[in-house]
Amino acid sequence: MKAIQSSHEDLFKRLQQAIKQMEQVLPGQASIKDFVHHNTLHGFEHLPFQEAVEKACKITGNHGYLPEKQCRALYHEGRITQTGLKTAIEGTPALKANELIFKSESRDISRSDIYLTRLLHPIKAVTGCQINWELGEMKALQTFQSDVDSTARDRVLTSTKMEEHEAINDLWSACLHILDLDHFIAHPEDMLDLTPEKAQSMLSQMVPDVDHPEGQPVIDALIRKQAHQEIEKLFGQVGDRLTLEGMLKQLTGEDMLEEMRPVLVRYMAAFLDQGFSAWPGPGREAGFYSFWRKSAAKDIARVFDDFPDWSDTLEALPEDAFDTVIIELRWLGLDEEKWEGYLQRLALELPGWSGMFLWRHNRPGYADLDTVNVNMIDYLAVRLVMERLFAQRLCRNLWQIEASLDVIRWYFNHHLPEFLVRQNFYNTHLPEYLSTLAQHHLSCSDVCNTDDQQWWHLAHLIWTWRHSISKGNPNGHNLFSSGWPLFRLSQHLGLCGAEIRKLNMTQVDMIFECLKTMDAQQAGFLWLQAYEQHYRDQFFNGVKNNHRRGRWSTRDSRPDAQIVFCMDDREEGIRRHLEEHNPGIETLGAGGFFGLPINWRGLDDEQITPLCPVVVTPSHEIRELPKKHAEPLLKKHQRRRSIRLRLQDLIFHETRRNLLATSLLIFISAPITLPILATKTFAYGKFGRWLDKTRKTFDLQVPSDITINAADPEQAATPETPRIGLTDTEQADRVESFLRTVGLTNTFAPFLVMMGHGSISQNNPHLAAYDCGACSGRHGGPNARAFAAIANRPAIRQILRERGIKLPDDAWVLGAEHNTCDEVIEWYDQDQIPSALQGGFTQLKKDLYIATLGSAHERSRRLASAPKGTSRKAALNHIFGRSKDFSQARPELGHATNAAAIIGRRSISQGAFFDRRVFLISYDPTQDPDGNIVEAILLTAGPVGAGINLEYYFSTVNNEHYGCGSKVTHNVTGLLGVMQGTTSDLRTGLPKQMIEIHEAMRLQVLVEATVETLTKIYMRQPPLQELVGNGWLLLSAIHPETGEISVFKPEEGFALWDNPVTPVPVVANSTQHYQGHHEPLAPALIEITKEAKHHA
Amino acid sequence: MLNLMAAMIPALPAIAALWVAAGFVLGNNRGESGEAQTRRVVLSAATLSFILLLCIDLLSLFHGKLPGELQLFPWLNSGDYQVNISFLLDGLGLIMAHLVSLLLLITLHFSVNYLHREAGYQRFFIIMSLFTSAMLLIVMAGNTVLTFVGWELAGVCSYLLIAYSHEKTTTTINATRAFVTNKVGDAGFLLSIILSFFWISSTEWNDIFTKAGELDGLQAGLIATGLLIAAMAKSAQIPFTPWIARALEGPTPSSAIFYGALMVHAGVYLVIRMEPLLSHTPELLWMIALAGAATAIYGFIGGLVQSDIKSALMFSTTGQVGLMFFACGLGWFEFATWHLIAHAIWRAYHFLSSPALMHLLPDHSRFIPAWLQKRRRTYTAALQRFWLEHITDWLLVKPILALSKDAQTFDQQVVNRLFGLPGSIGAVSSLAQWEEQKHAHSTQLDGDSGDIGRGRGLIGKLMEWIASLLHWFEEHLVLKGGDDGILQAVVRVGEALTKVDEMLSRPRYLLLMLLLTFVVIL
Repeated sequence: MKAIQSSHEDLFKRLQQAIKQMEQVLPGQASIKDFVHHNTLHGFEHLPFQEAVEKACKITGNHGYLPEKQCRALYHEGRITQTGLKTAIEGTPALKANELIFKSESRDISRSDIYLTRLLHPIKAVTGCQINWELGEMKALQTFQSDVDSTARDRVLTSTKMEEHEAINDLWSACLHILDLDHFIAHPEDMLDLTPEKAQSMLSQMVPDVDHPEGQPVIDALIRKQAHQEIEKLFGQVGDRLTLEGMLKQLTGEDMLEEMRPVLVRYMAAFLDQGFSAWPGPGREAGFYSFWRKSAAKDIARVFDDFPDWSDTLEALPEDAFDTVIIELRWLGLDEEKWEGYLQRLALELPGWSGMFLWRHNRPGYADLDTVNVNMIDYLAVRLVMERLFAQRLCRNLWQIEASLDVIRWYFNHHLPEFLVRQNFYNTHLPEYLSTLAQHHLSCSDVCNTDDQQWWHLAHLIWTWRHSISKGNPNGHNLFSSGWPLFRLSQHLGLCGAEIRKLNMTQVDMIFECLKTMDAQQAGFLWLQAYEQHYRDQFFNGVKNNHRRGRWSTRDSRPDAQIVFCMDDREEGIRRHLEEHNPGIETLGAGGFFGLPINWRGLDDEQITPLCPVVVTPSHEIRELPKKHAEPLLKKHQRRRSIRLRLQDLIFHETRRNLLATSLLIFISAPITLPILATKTFAYGKFGRWLDKTRKTFDLQVPSDITINAADPEQAATPETPRIGLTDTEQADRVESFLRTVGLTNTFAPFLVMMGHGSISQNNPHLAAYDCGACSGRHGGPNARAFAAIANRPAIRQILRERGIKLPDDAWVLGAEHNTCDEVIEWYDQDQIPSALQGGFTQLKKDLYIATLGSAHERSRRLASAPKGTSRKAALNHIFGRSKDFSQARPELGHATNAAAIIGRRSISQGAFFDRRVFLISYDPTQDPDGNIVEAILLTAGPVGAGINLEYYFSTVNNEHYGCGSKVTHNVTGLLGVMQGTTSDLRTGLPKQMIEIHEAMRLQVLVEATVETLTKIYMRQPPLQELVGNGWLLLSAIHPETGEISVFKPEEGFALWDNPVTPVPVVANSTQHYQGHHEPLAPALIEITKEAKHHA
Repeated sequence: MLNLMAAMIPALPAIAALWVAAGFVLGNNRGESGEAQTRRVVLSAATLSFILLLCIDLLSLFHGKLPGELQLFPWLNSGDYQVNISFLLDGLGLIMAHLVSLLLLITLHFSVNYLHREAGYQRFFIIMSLFTSAMLLIVMAGNTVLTFVGWELAGVCSYLLIAYSHEKTTTTINATRAFVTNKVGDAGFLLSIILSFFWISSTEWNDIFTKAGELDGLQAGLIATGLLIAAMAKSAQIPFTPWIARALEGPTPSSAIFYGALMVHAGVYLVIRMEPLLSHTPELLWMIALAGAATAIYGFIGGLVQSDIKSALMFSTTGQVGLMFFACGLGWFEFATWHLIAHAIWRAYHFLSSPALMHLLPDHSRFIPAWLQKRRRTYTAALQRFWLEHITDWLLVKPILALSKDAQTFDQQVVNRLFGLPGSIGAVSSLAQWEEQKHAHSTQLDGDSGDIGRGRGLIGKLMEWIASLLHWFEEHLVLKGGDDGILQAVVRVGEALTKVDEMLSRPRYLLLMLLLTFVVIL
C-alpha cells in the first residue's frame, strides 16, 4: 500500500515540520556551560500535567512519577498520609471513589477502599514460578501475607473464629471458587510431554475460527493465521514505535545500535565539539552529512567489518541531505504518512545527542561557532544511511535478502515458523527446554540451513506450551492475574472467605475494574498529589500561625538596613538568620538581576555575557573599566593574568595535546604537582584559601568603575544593537519599576543592599546549574553593582523623587554578591561609601558575617559528611572547605528540596522557619490596587520557578532517564555535555548527587493578593492559564488583610483552605528547631524578642 | 624485622580489602552508614603501609645501604623447583613502591567524598585496596611468580572496576574486552615463568639476571619475550592498544589510578626491571623501540581528534607510555624510570581534575596547523583509531567465534547423536503433532511407518541402523527391484561430501589446517 507520492516541496515542508515537532520530545538542554534550568517536559506544557507525563511516557518510555516502592517508603516515614491519599482519590472524579461495591455484615467496601489498598500494597499479577514460590516456600496458605496489618488480620480472625491457617485456606478457596478456577498450578516446564488427556482437553478448547474444511487439522491453520497477524502487527509498528533497527532487534536479538553507537558518537562529538579537540573535523562547514560522508568514504573499517557495499552505497548517495532522507525512507519502503513518526523514533534512540543537534540547529552561530553548519536534517540523513548499511549486513548474513521492509516481510510470510520462533525466543521468556532448542536452531540456521520442517516442529512446540500456560476460564480470569491478586486484596481489606463467597459476578468485575484503573500512571499521580498535600498543609499551617506576627507589613520605623536578596530558595536561610540576629534589618527578595537586564563585560572579559533571565535579550551593555589612575596597573594585571592563563593552558591542555613537549612539561611540573596534589587532597580548605589569596596577589587587583551612563544617548538601544550604558530616563525607569515591584517605596534605611548571588565550586562540570537562574545560570553580582551605582546618582534620585519615591540623601545603595556555595560575600565599590556611613557599614558587614555562620550551620544539618555539633565556626569552615575540595561531588545541594514560593510581603514569612524550601519574592499588594505588578511578577518569576522546580522534579523521579545519573562516571565531551563512559548517549538533566534529598513535588505558589485580582489576571493571561491551569504550578492566594488562604483548582477556581489551624512549635531561634535533625522539617515560629517588637 | 616490615607493606591493603569484604558479606558495613568503617579500614591500611615504607627508608639511611633482596620463606616446593616469598627492594623497587603507595593513598582519600552515597562504595574500596596490594606486589616482588600474582590481581581489579556500572551492557563488554586482551600478555608471562624454571631452575629476579648470561641467546630471548608480551599488553603498546581506550567506563578516581597513573605503567616497570636480561638480547630492544615509537605516534595523532576529556587524556597517556618504551628500546632505562615517575604523578592529577578541565580551557584548544587539518584520510584513520580493533577482530576474534560455533554445531549434529543424549524424545510434544497423529489414525488404516524399533546411544543406533539398512535393502533393492533407489542414496552421500568440502574451504579451516600442519611438523 503506497501512498500517493507527494511533491518535493511538500516533502521538504513536511520534514521541516517534523524537525520542529521533535522539539517537543527531545531534551532541550543547552550546552553545559550555559546550563539553565528548564522544565524537562517543556514540549508538553500545553497539556495538563497528568496527561503530559503519560504522553511523554508513551513516546519515550520514561516513567514520570516516583517509583511506587519509594512512595510507600515515604508513606511509612510519614511524608505522605492516608488522608492525603484519600483526598487525592476523592478529588479525581473519574475514579468514582464513593461508589459502593458491596456490603458485608460489618462494613461497606467502596471503590476508594480498593484503590487505597492497591496503592498501599503491591497487588500485582504473578508468574507461575512466583506463585509456586509463594505457596511452597513462603507458606502463603498458612499465614497472612507478611505486610498485612494487624487490624485487617484481627478482623478476619474474629469474624471467622478460625485458626489462622484455616481462615487463610478458606479465603484462598473462596477466591478460587468465586472466579471459577482450579487450584492447579502447572510447573513451567510441565509441558515437556503432553499427555493424551491433556492434549485432548486443550484441543477441544481450540475453536477453528478460520474457514477450513471439516476434518482438516485445526492447529496448523490457527498457527498460520496467528503468525500472519503478528507479522502484520510487527511491521505496522515500524514508524510509530519501532525503527528498522528496533524491529530487527526483535527478530534477531542483535542490537545494531550497540555497534553503531561508538562510531556515531565519535563523529557527532567531533562535529559538534565546541573547541576541545586540537584537530577540528575537516569540512565541518559543509554540515554533518557531508562531513560524515566524506570521512566515511575513507574509512577502511568496511573491509574488516564485512561491509562489501559500503563504498558503492556512499558514492551513490546524493549530495543533499534532504534528498538522502527521502531516498532512504523510500528505499526502506515505509508508507509516506509514517515518515515523521519514523524520524522521531530514530531521533529518540539517542535522545541526548539528537537533542543537542536540534538545540544547535535552532541556534546557528552559537558560541561563535558559525562556521559549523548544524542542521538536523544532516543528522537524520546520517542516521538513516548508517542504519541501512548495518541492517543490510545483518539481513544479508542471516537471510541473504535486502534490508527493506517489503522484502523482510515477504521473507517471513514465506517462513512463518521461523518468524514465530524468533518472535518468541527474543521477546518472551521460554522454558529452558524450548529456549535451548530455539537457540540451537537460530545459531545454526546460517550454517546448516535448517529446513522448514524443523522450524515447524519448534514453532508447534512453542505454540503448544504457550497455550497450555495461559489457560484461563471463559470469564477471562486465571490464577496468576486474578486469583492471586484477589487473595492478596482480600487479606489487606480484612475480608474472610465467607464474605468473598457472597459476591456476585458484577461485584467481582467491579473489583477487577478498580485494580485495572489504578495503573502505574494513575497511581503515580495520586501519590504525587498526596505528597504535595502533606507538604502544603504543613506549609499553610505555618503561614497561618505566623499571621500578623511577621515584621515589615508596614514600615513604621526606619530599618537599619534593607537587603534585597535573590528570590532563590537557598537565600531563605541566611535571611532568617540575619533577621534573628538583628531584627532591625529588613530583607527582601526579587529576581537576582534586579530588574536590570544587561550585557556585562568585565575587566578581563573579551566578550559580553547577558545577565538576565534567558527569555529576555538585553538592550544595554555595561562595561567594567579601570579607574583613571589605575590604567598602568591594568596593563600589568592583564600581562600577569595572561601569563597565568597561558601557563594554565599549557600545563592542563598542552599536556594532552602534544607528544614530546608533554614529556618536557611533566618533567618540569611533576615535582611541584606532587606536593600540590597531596595538599589539595589532605588540606583542601586551607590550600584553597591560600591559593585564592596568592592568585589575587599575583594577578593584582585593579580598582574599577562601571559605565552606566549612555555613551551616546541618541542611539536607540535594542536587543539587536545594544547600546553601552543607559540614559538617565532609562536608569530611573529601571530603578523605579524595581522598587515598586518589591514594594520598597518608602522609609528607606541608611543602607539599601542589592545582594546578587553565584556559586563557585571545584571539579564540577555542572557549575552553571548552581548559579543564579535569573541571570541565565551566571552570577548576579554585576547587576547588583550596576543597580547600586545608578541608584546612588543624585540625578536619578532627583527623578525618582519627582515620581514619588523619596530616597533620602543619607541612604546609600550597595552592590554585593553572595556565594551560595562557600557563603563568602563580596562587596562592590566600598570606597565610595560616604564616610559618615562607614561605621554603620562595618556593623552591617559584621551582621552579615554572623548570618553566614548561621546559614552554614543550618546547611550542615542536611549534609551527611558535615560536622553536626553546635559550633557555627566549624560549620562555616566545613562549608568553605567543601567548596574548595576537588573530590567533593556535592559542593552544595543547590535548589534541592525547593517546594514553594511566596509572592508577597516579608511579613507573611518573617519570623517563621521554612527550611530553605521557599522562594521568597517581595511584593506589596497594598501598593498595587489593579494587580499590574503581581501580574508581571507571575509572568516572570512563574516560569523561572517552575523551570527550576520541574527540572528537579523530573530528575528526581527518574534520574536514569530524565536526569543524568551519577557524576562518578561522567565524562565531559566536546565542552557541551557529559557522557557516561566514552561512548554513551549525551546525558541531560541533573546528576544524582544534586537530587538525592529533593522531595519531588510541584511548586506551591502562594500569592498575597485577593482571589478576585488573581482570577482576573488568570483570565487574561494565556501563559498563566497554561502554567497554572495545566497544573505545572500549584497556585494559592493569601488574602492581604484577613490572611485567609484559597487554593486554586483548574476546574473549579479558588476554594477556601479551611483546615483547622494547629499550633506549631515556638522556638527561640532557628537553630533550636533544626539542631539534631537531618530530615525535612515542618515550619516553626521563632519567638519575637523585645527588640523585634519595637520594629514591628 | 625488615623482612616482616617488607611483607606487611603489600599485605596490609590486602588484609583491609578482605576485612571490608567480610564485613560486607556479614552485612555490618553495608550502605551509607557503613561508609565510615570501610574508609577507616582501607585508609588506615594504606597509610600504615606508606609509613612502613618510610621506616624502611630510615633503616636504609641508618645502615647506609638499600635492603636489596629479602628472602622470607619458601612458598611452593616441588622437587627441584622452589618459589620463595621474596622481595627485591633495590633502588628501582623502593622508589616505585613509594610512588604506588603515595598515589594510591591520595586517590583513596579523594574517593571518600567522590563516591559518597554510591551503591558500589564498599565494592569500590575493596577493589582499590586489593589493587594497592597488587601494585605493591608487582613493584616489590623478588621473583617472577610473585610479580605474576600481583600482575593477575591488578588485572582482575581493573576488570571489576571497568565494570563498576555492571548493569550497563557497554561497560561489561568493554571490561571483558580489556580483560581478555590482557590475558594474552598473561600467557606470555606464564610462558616465561615456565621457561625460567626449565632453564634456570629459579624464578628469582636476581637468579634470572645472573644466569641469563649462561643461557644461549635463544633461551634468554624466549624468557624475555614472554615477559615483554606481558609488559606490552599491560601498558597497551601496539598491537594491544585498543583495550585501554575501552577501559574508561569506571569512576573517575579509578580511571585516574589504573589507566592514568599506575597500572598502565606496570609494563614499563617490568621492562625496566628486565634491563639485565634484555642486555643479552639486543634484538628485543629494537622490537621494544619499534613498538614504543609506533604507540607514541598512535597516541599522539589519535589524541588530536578526541573530543571527550577522558579519551583525550587516555590517548596522551598511551603516547607517553609509548615514549617510555621507546626510551627503553634505546637503552635509556634510567630516563624511562624518571619519565615514568613524573608522568604517573602528573597524570594522576590530570585525571582527577578532568571534570573541571573544561573550565580551564580559555576558548578552544590550540588547533593544529591548517594544512594538517585538511588531511581527511589521516583524520578518519585517527578517529577510527587506526582500525587496530577492527583488524584484531577480523584476524582473531571473528575466526575464533566462528570456530566455536562450528564446534557447537558439530557437537549437536554429530557427538550428541552419536552418544544418544536426550533431545526431544517425548512421543508427543506439540498439539499439532498430536492432532496429526489422531488424524493419521483415523484415515490410515495400516500404521506401518517403516521404522523397525528405536535405539538410543551409539550401540543402540548402530543396531537400529543395521536393522533399518537390512529392511531398506530388502524393501528397495529386493522388493522394488532397484529402479532409482540406489541413485538417490548416492546423490545424498554426494551432497554431504560437498558440504564437508565447503566447510573445509572456508578460511578459518584453512587456517586451522595450516596450524595443525605446523604443530605436527614442529
